[in-house]
Amino acid sequence: MTTPRRPAPAASPAPAFAPDAAHVTDHLLVSGVRKSFGATEVLKGVDLTVAQGRTTAIVGASGSGKTTLLRLIAGFEAPDAGSVALDGVEVAGPSAWLPAHKRSIGYVAQDGALFPHLSVGQNIEFGLPVRGRAAASRVAELLEMVSMDPAYAKRRPSQLSGGQQQRVALARALARQPELMLLDEPFSALDAGLRVATRRAVSKTLSDAGVTTILVTHDQAEALSFADQVAVMRDGRLAQIGSPFVVYTRPSDRATAEFLGDAVILEAWMEGSLALCSLGGIPVRRPSVQGRVHLMLRPEQIRIAEGGNIHGRVVDTDYFGPETTVRIQLAPIAVDPSEPVDPHQPVGGEVISIRHWNAMLARPGTQLSLKVVGEGVVFPWDG
Amino acid sequence: MSIPTSTTAERKPRSNNLRNAGGGRGTRSGPWPVVVLCTLIAAFSLLPLGYVATMTANAGWDTIEKLVFRPRVGELLFNTVALVVITVPLCVVIGIAGAWLVERTRLRGHKAWAVLLAAPLAIPAFVNSYAWVSAIPSLGGVFGGVLISTLSYFPLVYIPVAAVLSRMDPALEQSGSSLGLGPWKVFFRVVLPQLRLAAAGGALLVSLHLLAEYGAFAMIQFDTFTTAIYDQFRSTFNGAAANMLASVLVLFCLLLLLGESKTRGNARYARVGSGVQANPPRLPMGRLEIPGQLGLAALTVLALGVPLFHVVRWLIVGGPGIWTGSALATALLQTLGYGLAGALVTTALAFPLAFLAVRHPGPVTKLLEGANYISSSMPGIVVALALVTISIHNVPAVYQTAVVLVAAYALLFMPRALVNLRAGLAQAPKELDEAAQALGKPPLVAFLKVTLRLTAPAAAGGAALVFLGIVNELTATLLLAPNGTQTLATEFWSLSSEIDYTGAAPYALLMILLSAPMTYLLFAQSKKAAGQ
Repeated sequence: MTTPRRPAPAASPAPAFAPDAAHVTDHLLVSGVRKSFGATEVLKGVDLTVAQGRTTAIVGASGSGKTTLLRLIAGFEAPDAGSVALDGVEVAGPSAWLPAHKRSIGYVAQDGALFPHLSVGQNIEFGLPVRGRAAASRVAELLEMVSMDPAYAKRRPSQLSGGQQQRVALARALARQPELMLLDEPFSALDAGLRVATRRAVSKTLSDAGVTTILVTHDQAEALSFADQVAVMRDGRLAQIGSPFVVYTRPSDRATAEFLGDAVILEAWMEGSLALCSLGGIPVRRPSVQGRVHLMLRPEQIRIAEGGNIHGRVVDTDYFGPETTVRIQLAPIAVDPSEPVDPHQPVGGEVISIRHWNAMLARPGTQLSLKVVGEGVVFPWDG
Repeated sequence: MSIPTSTTAERKPRSNNLRNAGGGRGTRSGPWPVVVLCTLIAAFSLLPLGYVATMTANAGWDTIEKLVFRPRVGELLFNTVALVVITVPLCVVIGIAGAWLVERTRLRGHKAWAVLLAAPLAIPAFVNSYAWVSAIPSLGGVFGGVLISTLSYFPLVYIPVAAVLSRMDPALEQSGSSLGLGPWKVFFRVVLPQLRLAAAGGALLVSLHLLAEYGAFAMIQFDTFTTAIYDQFRSTFNGAAANMLASVLVLFCLLLLLGESKTRGNARYARVGSGVQANPPRLPMGRLEIPGQLGLAALTVLALGVPLFHVVRWLIVGGPGIWTGSALATALLQTLGYGLAGALVTTALAFPLAFLAVRHPGPVTKLLEGANYISSSMPGIVVALALVTISIHNVPAVYQTAVVLVAAYALLFMPRALVNLRAGLAQAPKELDEAAQALGKPPLVAFLKVTLRLTAPAAAGGAALVFLGIVNELTATLLLAPNGTQTLATEFWSLSSEIDYTGAAPYALLMILLSAPMTYLLFAQSKKAAGQ
């Protein structure tokens, strides 16, 4: 088993939604990092803090700059401005530069990047000092750590499946007991079933070893399930950083909301802590704006409910087996004719998509009753 | 220059994603020491072209008019143009037909035929010429030139075309059939268009060889620009006349390069989509089996049988006497020495260029590669002419030394090393280097243990092909070799020029024996390159 050189993580893990608890130290500190390739500015000022022993996912569309950020942390690129510090020591910045091989960082690339001319065992030993290599048992240990049979040590990388290659790459990176593990879309080349299994195995291995981990991915589900901190990257900036639950349920802007999962966006009128929309009055916690807004709900918050007070008509459905996407035409917002009407008041009557398990229940044309569970999030009106 | 490596692979662009851009603290165009080094190498490779351009510019219009516009030049122009215009289409037709028979039909023995059709490359054109003159002493003129060069050079079209045919996605042909085309229509409307790039590349190589060849045409006293330049140079040493002819020849080469790049356009025939590729279908020959076998047999007899028969015949006529004396051993040793030195130097010079091309593709790299591509298309005679003059005037210390000759070899054969190194470096992506660095290896160690190690087999392949080129190189060697140099090619040449055909035969045999394994290597490699 690897025994991390640094002290083991605190025995009682920090509560999931309070990552800044006092006893957790900052392992990685990225501040004000900028990077351009030619005329293209890829990173436009990125700040990120990762606590010791925690797992952070950087999620973003392709081209958002997330891989560049990871490569800067690894030391494959140097920032144009800003700095990167590991354990409080600046490794990249205006006056500091520590090359990749001196950073005690593990790096697993998209395709594993196994050396094709070496066997699995030789790959795993590659980063170890020559005298540390002797023990074949060490290789076996590492292979077991990534749930692979030690007999694989003799094989060539080309004889392994994609998932096995990824796990060997992880074992190779773990062999040096790095303090920080960087994973660059390590699961994206795998097919769906293998992806989930490999992700679980990797996640377990890393948390058992107590290694601080940063995962870069474009797959929001992967980010939400893998990490205890999610950083959403867009256009070279981190749009939001927080726990998976927070970024999913309380995204900071509409683009983040839509990137992280399906979102129901409605016109609404914010008054106090209640947003008035086609679904009635929806509570919003600490709304940032008043008046005309967009209201965001997750589809799973809207349920078909006998006797619900919201009414709609089924437009059409998409059947996916275990669940069905139902598109529903909502009724317009009821207006009291006696009151003066603000011309900016939303009219409502949108078509929304929700999910339901029973395809039979929702045939086109059916009238449905709905109810809303939980709170909504509002964003400023953008026309 | 005498043999192509796969032209399709040679000019294949590398996909350039952002992950490959920039590295460490270097810039996007690559680490500056490598860029400087590559610029120097490119500048060196532009020497011949620069020389010809300068000479032409300095000569003045009157001299140009006097030396270029005269009946002798007209005659050379006619011969050269006729040679190219007749030989190139012949090579294309024979090359494509042969490749198709071998790769896409159920012709009996197609595996053996596949090798036999590539084999003529192992016989230097001037040895082929020597054999044909032995068979038909009166051979000469355009007919003789076309006959010998077609038989020597059709594999330059056959090899790349066969490589593409053997790797072509059968799904395209199946789509053609499903759209209602019969087998012949599928061939002409689906298969043939996909062969265009390979065939055009092969045709370019044939043309450049035709322009560059000296020995084969001198042997049958068929005058082309190259033979005329050689004669001029021998008689007047550094005459303006030779220079003017050289500039016309260079102009020809540039026109051919331009023509080929126009044919090529921006077309890249890549397979769309992924998935495992099935082997392309083979058509039954039926009643065409016998004509097919006869055609290939006739071709093999002419291209391979005639030269081998006559070399062996002269060996028998000569008896054991032609093997005595130290000359043969000296020539073999010197050839091996030059071959190894040239292969090493060329590979070393090509490495930075290949590295830049694969790791830092961009405008700078394109320019450097372009410079190298054009300059390596210059005929050996032009390279030799340039190096003689430049070494006499600028670095007299190296004039008439092995240094100049090895430099000429590097100029002539750089593309062979380059193509192989590029393919090799593509197998060693930057990510592996970075993985090694992340595992604690300093950049230099990572480079040695990963990149260099992974590139080594390809580098060896490239070096072997450079070696092959040097063994069979005649023109530049004749002009540049230090006094007393005896290589297999030059000894063969001097003996056969004295009509000592029996004495020349052992040299011919040795050249063929040295070339055979490397020709096979080239053939095997082309199949792989097309699949990349």
